Amino acid sequence: MCGMAEPTPETTVHPQAPAPPTAPKPRRRTPAKKAAGAAAGDGAPAFVDRGDAWAVVGAGPHGMSALKALLQNGIEADGFERESDVGGNWNFGAENSRVYESTHLISSKPFTQFPDFPMPDAYPDYPSHRQVKDYFGRYADHFGLRARIRFSTDVVGAVPVADGRAWDVTVRDRTTAAETTYRYAGLVVGNGHNWSPKQPTYPGQDTFGGEIIHSADYKGAEVLRGKRVLVVGAGNTGCDVAVESAQNAVHTWHSTRRGYYYNPKYMTGRPSDQVADSLLALKIPLPVRRAMFKGSLRFAVGDLTKFGLKKPDHKFFETHPIVNQQLVYYVGHGDITPSEDIDHFEHDAVVFTDGTRAEVDLVVFCTGYLVSFPFLDHAWLNWHDDHPQLFLQIFTPAFDNLVVSGLIQPDSGQWTLAHWQGMLIARVAEALRQRPGAARGFLSRASAEADRRFSAGTEYKNSTRHYYEVAHQDYLGVLQDAIRELEVSA
Amino acid sequence: MNAMNAVKARAGSGNPLRRKTKAMRPWDWSFPSAAVSHREVISAQPAEPSDRPPLLMVHGVAHGAWCFAENWVPAAAEKGWPSYAVSLRGHGGSAGARHLRRTLTRDYVHDVMQTITELPSPPVLIGHSMGAIVAQLVAERYPLRGLVLLAPAPMHSAVGDLIAIAKDRPADLGRAVIGQTLSMEPDILFEGLDATTARAYSDRTGMESPLVQWELLLRRTVGPVRCPVLVIGTPSDRLVRPADVRRTADSYGVEPVWFPGMGHDLMLDAGWDRVLDTVLEFAAELPAWGTAAPR
Repeated sequence: MCGMAEPTPETTVHPQAPAPPTAPKPRRRTPAKKAAGAAAGDGAPAFVDRGDAWAVVGAGPHGMSALKALLQNGIEADGFERESDVGGNWNFGAENSRVYESTHLISSKPFTQFPDFPMPDAYPDYPSHRQVKDYFGRYADHFGLRARIRFSTDVVGAVPVADGRAWDVTVRDRTTAAETTYRYAGLVVGNGHNWSPKQPTYPGQDTFGGEIIHSADYKGAEVLRGKRVLVVGAGNTGCDVAVESAQNAVHTWHSTRRGYYYNPKYMTGRPSDQVADSLLALKIPLPVRRAMFKGSLRFAVGDLTKFGLKKPDHKFFETHPIVNQQLVYYVGHGDITPSEDIDHFEHDAVVFTDGTRAEVDLVVFCTGYLVSFPFLDHAWLNWHDDHPQLFLQIFTPAFDNLVVSGLIQPDSGQWTLAHWQGMLIARVAEALRQRPGAARGFLSRASAEADRRFSAGTEYKNSTRHYYEVAHQDYLGVLQDAIRELEVSA
Repeated sequence: MNAMNAVKARAGSGNPLRRKTKAMRPWDWSFPSAAVSHREVISAQPAEPSDRPPLLMVHGVAHGAWCFAENWVPAAAEKGWPSYAVSLRGHGGSAGARHLRRTLTRDYVHDVMQTITELPSPPVLIGHSMGAIVAQLVAERYPLRGLVLLAPAPMHSAVGDLIAIAKDRPADLGRAVIGQTLSMEPDILFEGLDATTARAYSDRTGMESPLVQWELLLRRTVGPVRCPVLVIGTPSDRLVRPADVRRTADSYGVEPVWFPGMGHDLMLDAGWDRVLDTVLEFAAELPAWGTAAPR
């Protein structure tokens, strides 16, 4: 849980972005062997066969950890990134970055950092997005990743060739608009899942006279100043924005579907996720942990319905955790009015399902993001209903050499899991090359277990945000077993 | 002869059996090591910038970065290697002496990991004595270029060494049991230095955490170490028995390189330059990061 409503930070590759209208320069010559392909000037993309190398789409934390793991294990790999720097979602100000001025981590350092590249001691327990971006930059420098990444490059398409033994990845240079197709032995998709806004619509929305924005476009509190604001959604972004609105706007309404538990950032002087994990390490059973957390919240804050908030309709740990100590405080100050779902819009107001009405100038939809892989055919990712079903959230039954990194939303820090996802991907890539039998044996389970969830015994609330929810201890344990399985068969 | 052994050592960059990747570290997550206010890192850079990997040196019980800064750091830089030596918390010029009594080996691992992230690229990690245990625990977490173990304290428990110390100098054992620092007298550390120099070095040693000393008796396992490993020992070591050095080398499938006639402090005793040459030979032959063909 890294600071966003649906808080998974990755890089974004947005192929539809138009290339700048600069005159195409002579096609760049790649030092790699230039195989038979379109001769320069006939309009077809240049073609380069990269042999045994793998491609990694995106240079956010998940793309970088996969790229690093591949290189570290002796597998040649190239990265592609649409922006001119690493960081993905945390590249504040970039077109598809979804962090805002005040974003801080909501999980503490030890869970959130790459285990082989800890955050500096000088960082606070919950670093800011600027520190996070800086951290990713130093990770890229330290492991020499920048030289392996083509920046300012869109991935416009990827298709399997040679019976799925290779992938043709077509990229477009964002400055020259020149297109090149590279052939790779495998493809890692790390373009993130928190960049394509999920935008709800309500009756009367078209005729609403105020302004409506999605949190994707929320960069800082100045848009709230002096306005009457409705914030929709109680993800971590929704709660952050509601609090900032309480501090800056004239008045704030906060519309949520259901009641939630608002977790504190600290308990007993320690980051609360560290307290939670000490209980896990002691193997305290789930019902007891639930009772302890509920009890401590009850003691510290009490019955939320007394503040006018809804009673949670679910048990502790059944939804993605919300870490926000300030929301209830501002409700208590009267700066935030908790509200029902929106029923419809009027010209100058919003009417909620309970019939109450709020005159507002600005509506901020903090309604999360949808998963999107615009350069891939969704069928290849075992798409069911409206989301991909992947073994370990990584491997598709359709291909051995197509993997997704970062399609997870842990109840803990993200990048420790990113590291181990990368390590498993590298092990599989290595096994595919050296011991195809072992790799296939492992991957054959992909079809059988593609719908397996990692919820550590709880039943997640059914909503699009929870398709990718994982309990970190459960998920990491299974990743660890998978890595060991491929090690043992070495 | 040393070169030959180094080649053998490189050849066996294997995975010791029954060592498995460890992703779950709930205790590290829930009780992270405390930050220290200052960490001493002594470094020297080659005159010409080079693309060689940095060398990072980690000292043993009661020593500090100074023991490497004395000879190895400048000499290695002279030969073109960016060289660094770190003082673990509570040692040398690093902060943390006040909390030494509750310092654990994992705090030292934290210190070395923090130092590594400040280096420009993945280093060759050199651990001496107890620092070799720290280095191996780092190697299971981090993709080192290479791992060098100098007179390594054993991961498989130092009980044997303790018995040897008990026979050799019973009073020292008694002190260690009640939590005092092991004796670092000149005759224990050195064979070939003149008395004045040896005494001066011995006087520079400080205190060790009693918990860390007791932890040396534990049997530890580490996850897979996939980088090349070089193990160096001396047959006349009065702290780590040669049998233990051999066993450490065996666990990595390599042949130890021996330096007869030297004491435990291989980086200070007369002949330190030959030991360093062996280390640099090993480091020069390491595969480039990112192209390492794993076993």
